[in-house]
Amino acid sequence: MTTATATPTRISRITPASALLFLRDYAVLVLLGIILLVLAIATPSFFTFANIVNILNQNAPLAIIAVAGTFVIISGSFDLSTAAIYAVCSVAAAWVAVASGSVVLALLMPPVIGMLLGAFNGFSVTVLRVHSFLATLASSLIFKAIAVLITGGALISVPLDGFSELGRGRIGGVFYSVIILFIFIAVMWFVLNGTVYGRHVFAVGGNQDAAQLSGVSVDRIKVAVFAVSGLAAGIAASIGVSRIASGQPQAGEGLELAAIAAIILGGTSINGGMGAVWRSVAGVFLIALIGNGFDILGFNPQLKNLVTGVIILAAVALAAVGVKRR
Amino acid sequence: MHILSKNGRRVAVVAIAALGVSSLAACSSPSGSNGSAESDGTYSIAVLLASSQNGYNQAVAEGVQKAADSLDGKFDITVLDGGFNADTQLSQMETAGVGEKYDGIVVVPFDGPALAAAFPLANGIPVTTALNPIGPDIEEMEPQVEGVVATVAVPAGEAAAKQAEGVVEYCADIDPCKVALLVGQLNAPLDVTREAAYRKVLEPEANIEIVATVEGNYDPDLSSTAISNVLQANPDINVVLSNADQQTEGAQIALEDAGIDPSTVYLTGGGGTSKSIQNVRDGVWKADYINFPVSMGKAAMEQLYNALTGGDVTSFVNADEVGEVDPYATKETLDETPDYTGEWVG
Repeated sequence: MTTATATPTRISRITPASALLFLRDYAVLVLLGIILLVLAIATPSFFTFANIVNILNQNAPLAIIAVAGTFVIISGSFDLSTAAIYAVCSVAAAWVAVASGSVVLALLMPPVIGMLLGAFNGFSVTVLRVHSFLATLASSLIFKAIAVLITGGALISVPLDGFSELGRGRIGGVFYSVIILFIFIAVMWFVLNGTVYGRHVFAVGGNQDAAQLSGVSVDRIKVAVFAVSGLAAGIAASIGVSRIASGQPQAGEGLELAAIAAIILGGTSINGGMGAVWRSVAGVFLIALIGNGFDILGFNPQLKNLVTGVIILAAVALAAVGVKRR
Repeated sequence: MHILSKNGRRVAVVAIAALGVSSLAACSSPSGSNGSAESDGTYSIAVLLASSQNGYNQAVAEGVQKAADSLDGKFDITVLDGGFNADTQLSQMETAGVGEKYDGIVVVPFDGPALAAAFPLANGIPVTTALNPIGPDIEEMEPQVEGVVATVAVPAGEAAAKQAEGVVEYCADIDPCKVALLVGQLNAPLDVTREAAYRKVLEPEANIEIVATVEGNYDPDLSSTAISNVLQANPDINVVLSNADQQTEGAQIALEDAGIDPSTVYLTGGGGTSKSIQNVRDGVWKADYINFPVSMGKAAMEQLYNALTGGDVTSFVNADEVGEVDPYATKETLDETPDYTGEWVG
């Protein structure tokens, strides 16, 4: 009897409104599932261990930047300088590697440099009171110029043995970069959801004045999110520069916008106060799967941007419809 | 749903304005000497680079300077940075084309068809172009607009066809011979021309199968990603035909990551960087289409000098013929010039 009464109750709960609400919250997962299904049916090459590891490896730097960028956007700010920080860190690592001959020093330096540059952004936003959009736009020009000055515009090849190990080495068939990505996701997920700091990030993005009145050190939180964003760009740069064994000032071009697109596509609110690490990871891999599918299936690459754009629009529209109906 | 709040929109407007101001600043001509050949015997030359932060463009500028140092005359060279932006370079050309600041211009066009809008220049000074022609037809090397006196370049389609002929030769005894095309940007006219030329040569060959066409965007990382994806569906690939060395480096990384010895695949690129020439010498790559950016810059400057001094101007200088070696390089051709290391690093 209990079963008989419970079943119709469940069915009655699936209403158009609740479906839209579900879509609003999980549009990125729905689209991710659809694309996974289509690719799995379309080509046997897709659901292979090698291809999955391949996709994770290729997108590890972007995913790392997007995960940290989630903190920035939840806190109500933007970071348009991540690509420039990536470039500076890449050329600095290559330069140090060639100059010192130390692979370890060269690859440990980018996260430190990235964190310092990120903190610089944080101070610009909090001390100079410049909006993050403008502050990071301006700092990206400065950082990019530094990258060009270090290299003179040319690329720096690194012929050292072992330099490529971080970006191309594997353990048990899995790239080190993928392991770093998973650790980074786990740490950042914990920080955002399991610590006071994480709650303060949400509070600052949700209502800065209320957070300030509640005793949250808004400026300190903001400096910290930018420092973390810079740190992530530095880690991504270590992986990237190691992978291609050369540093170039053009490295990472477009990464900042790709990361922001993935974060928003995942469902993190561009207005701050709402979001999740897993959403950004899903956003990154939704875009990545489109590219992977095009290359594997041999589709016309000129259509790739069109399809990517339509899917991003669809995801954002699904979320918007859910909001309106609610 | 508002993507940006009211405050955010305000900030965005200010940011766009700031970008506009920075673009205008980039477009404005730099201050400098106002010398001319008539007043003090010094020729004031503007070198308009597609980007001054790019190794290839820097090599062209180096060639211009070398020619200036060797020619009979005094030259005041000013390098302008186009920032890989067609509008910026067009503005620079228009600015240089008015007044008496410059006596002549050497340009590496970012977008040759778009740059044609600046011609004829108001002051009528001669212009030589390197790498790409200026005008609507990107395959026409003879000057197409009034004011351009010489072009130092190679038709993109012609060079691409020769690269593809090397693939046909390699594939002669392989059936099927699986080829991946790794092209720069398929929204750029020059790269579209190259891809069409590749297909025109490869498609009639019954044993050759083009299994994928992917974009490398002149970036080793993006190229590595694209070829890694291609290898998932085609692990037995025979050829990666690329128009740029940076892309071929990415393809090499993808092959190595997939556990494939790159020397077992026909890898070829374009550019002639020192590293790629070494790769061909070592047998890691099978071929490379070598460019000679320093020699191209020298040739462009020499023709400009001829125009300025009333000498004979060669309106089309074949860029394949200005270097020291055969541009369609293989290990065998490079073995004939063991000391050659290329004209630019990358």
